[in-house]
Amino acid sequence: MTSVESSEAADRARRLQRVAELLAEAVTPEQVLDAILTEGVRAAEARAGSIGVVGDDGEQIVMLAQIGYRPEIMANWQSFRLDAATPMSDVIRTGEPLFISSVQERNRLYPLLADQGQEGHALVIVPLAVEGQVFGAMSLSFDHDVEFEPERREMKVALGRQAAQALSRSRLYAAEQAARQRMTFLAEASELLASSLDYNRTLRRLAQLCVPRLADWCAIDMVGADGGIERLAVAHQDPEKVKWAYELQQRYPPDPDGPRGVPQVLRTGEPDFLPTIPQELLEEAIGDDVELRRIVDELGLTSSIAVPLIARGRTLGALSLIAAETHPPFTPADFELAIELARRAAVAVDNARLYREAERGANAARALAYVADGVVLLDRDGTVRHWNPAAATITGVSEEEALGQPVTEVVPAWEQLTSHVPLLAPGSAPRPVTVPIVIGGQERWVAVSGVGFGDGTVFALQDVTEERALEKTRSDFVATASHELRTPLAAVYGAVRTLRRDDMQLSEFDHAQFLEMIESEATRLAKIVDQILLAGQLDADAVELDLTECDPAEVAAGVIESAATHLPEAISLSLEADGPPQIACDPNKLRQVLANLVDNAVKYSPDGGAVVLRVQSDNGSCRIDVLDEGLGIPAAEQSRIFEKFYRLDPQQTQGVGGSGLGLYICRELVERMDGWLTVESEPGKGSRFSVVLPARS
Amino acid sequence: MLVIDDERAIRLLCRVNLAASGMEVLEAADGRAGLDLARNERPDLVLLDVMMPDVDGWTVARELAADDETREIPVVFLTARAEAADKRLGEQLGGVGYLVKPFDPVSIGDFVEDVLTRIENGEREQLRREITSGPAR
Repeated sequence: MTSVESSEAADRARRLQRVAELLAEAVTPEQVLDAILTEGVRAAEARAGSIGVVGDDGEQIVMLAQIGYRPEIMANWQSFRLDAATPMSDVIRTGEPLFISSVQERNRLYPLLADQGQEGHALVIVPLAVEGQVFGAMSLSFDHDVEFEPERREMKVALGRQAAQALSRSRLYAAEQAARQRMTFLAEASELLASSLDYNRTLRRLAQLCVPRLADWCAIDMVGADGGIERLAVAHQDPEKVKWAYELQQRYPPDPDGPRGVPQVLRTGEPDFLPTIPQELLEEAIGDDVELRRIVDELGLTSSIAVPLIARGRTLGALSLIAAETHPPFTPADFELAIELARRAAVAVDNARLYREAERGANAARALAYVADGVVLLDRDGTVRHWNPAAATITGVSEEEALGQPVTEVVPAWEQLTSHVPLLAPGSAPRPVTVPIVIGGQERWVAVSGVGFGDGTVFALQDVTEERALEKTRSDFVATASHELRTPLAAVYGAVRTLRRDDMQLSEFDHAQFLEMIESEATRLAKIVDQILLAGQLDADAVELDLTECDPAEVAAGVIESAATHLPEAISLSLEADGPPQIACDPNKLRQVLANLVDNAVKYSPDGGAVVLRVQSDNGSCRIDVLDEGLGIPAAEQSRIFEKFYRLDPQQTQGVGGSGLGLYICRELVERMDGWLTVESEPGKGSRFSVVLPARS
Repeated sequence: MLVIDDERAIRLLCRVNLAASGMEVLEAADGRAGLDLARNERPDLVLLDVMMPDVDGWTVARELAADDETREIPVVFLTARAEAADKRLGEQLGGVGYLVKPFDPVSIGDFVEDVLTRIENGEREQLRREITSGPAR
């Protein structure tokens, strides 16, 4: 070995050492590639270099990086087949380095390259292998022809070995990093999915989470209730683009029967993965649409994944990821991640829906448990399937007794109850029929409506006994009012008819009596009509009171005076006033109240007796008692006599006339003057009605 | 004739107008007094109000019908109760007429005469049935 040779050898060793140091520092594949192609190529004294690796499919060689080649040359060599007749393909296949001294030799060995650039000189390709596995190769091109001696060959192979180890290590590291990132992402996504039962919102946030980490675009589509495709979310880093995507969706709505992408995934439940979106596919989708072509070009779609959201065998929706302007094409690992993500999302959606259904069921049960209407569900055979508490109350049959039994056994009167009820179609306006049933010996009135649906019938039962009673009270009142009007009317009409008779001569006395009769009965008519009107006004709260200071004894005296003019002989009427305080009241209304009470006292004293109006001071208030010695009021009735339309004698055969409104009106008026009206009574002994009004303050 | 009515005005109307038809009229202001008069005086016909204190018209009719001494006295109800159910009750209780207030007192004399004539002609049962099936009066 000459000294020149030994110094060259030392120099090569130093350069190799330098490359080794740099490669040791490089962590990522990018750093490794950078170190090899700058320092490695320089150490090998080459003009240019490139590194290609076998792709994921095992059939292609993908160029990872290069330096020194003209771009137009490299454009043709971004990827090429492993079985092609090229130097790099051969080296990767054989695992043997290749040393070519000149372009002539290259063209001879690889005629395929004869029409390629001819300015090249020597070319070295060394395999990149780790533990005997060749995964790629490195090319080194020289700017002159070189006859490679063994030492120089050894140096290139050593460089390749170093590069292979560094590259393999960095790729492992990167893969591990990527795997860790995916796990982190999945963990984050899972946490998000579990955070809320509002899955629409959660899925929107999930789509947001996917960009830009997982893809440039993320979209989530759901299968709608009608089977159509409903876009739930679109995410992109740029909100403008999201807006634009929605507009695009409006303009080009997805065809549920479309042959590819989301429609196909939703239809088949099979994922769709396009590592590289083939240009033909885009062309097919674009057709002749110029606008769409512009959009697609602008989007720059490169790679796509569409995976179904499947839970319990049902496809609920689809998650789509698209790589475009920034994200590298998707790898099988990305695809796996997308599938896992979609699986978890589907479970979350399913859980949320199940929960919602369960909650809806629980709410429905709660509504049925508390609704005041009885709800009865019968299956096709007439067996009770639901019997809510109100149904139990109305029918007197408990849920336990009713469930699972034929309804005709549960309620023997069921036929009678429902035979006139028309079975309506779901959604039609209810037409309840009111029927009486006897429960526990008591007659109840029940409004029943029924709806028939495919699997049975649902009945709604409403206890309208109270309403019916009220209705009856009202119609009784009308009848009562008409009775009350008929008698004075008969007197007035009869008197006039009699006075106009020309076939007889009335005595002067009778003549006068008839005239007086007309007058008093007309007054009585007016009074009854007034009461009916006043009761209506009180109901509508439209009675105006004119509150002034007044002397209750004076008002009472007026009432006595006027009552005395038409008093039955057997009644004695007197006033006892014992220095009552002045009060603030409407004197006309107080007069009306007292006159009514005195009237009642007289009316309910058919056998006569004393009626006393006693006005006195009582604990600073004014107390006015109306006492009689008449029929009295049974204890059970005492609280009810103040009810509107309530009559002591509902059949009204006792002839103690009245509209059924007098006491109702009295109590209402007294209460509106801040007082109260009470009664004490003993049947057969008489009654005492007491009006207590506050003294003037 | 016997008029049983707690309303003085109605009794007066009946008395004056029946007297104009030449009839002698007794008056009772309540059911009890009416029953006593009917038993003691045996009137040709009773004009009977329904809504009266203590003993009502229905009770009077029932008691008159239950008593052999008074069973044959024809009863004409003269009442403010105009409902069909009331007329049915009047028919059941054996009334031979049912006049609803307000009524025309001028024609009451003719009405009573007509009722009495038809009873004499054996149409009592038919009169009774006419309470619910005949023309409204």
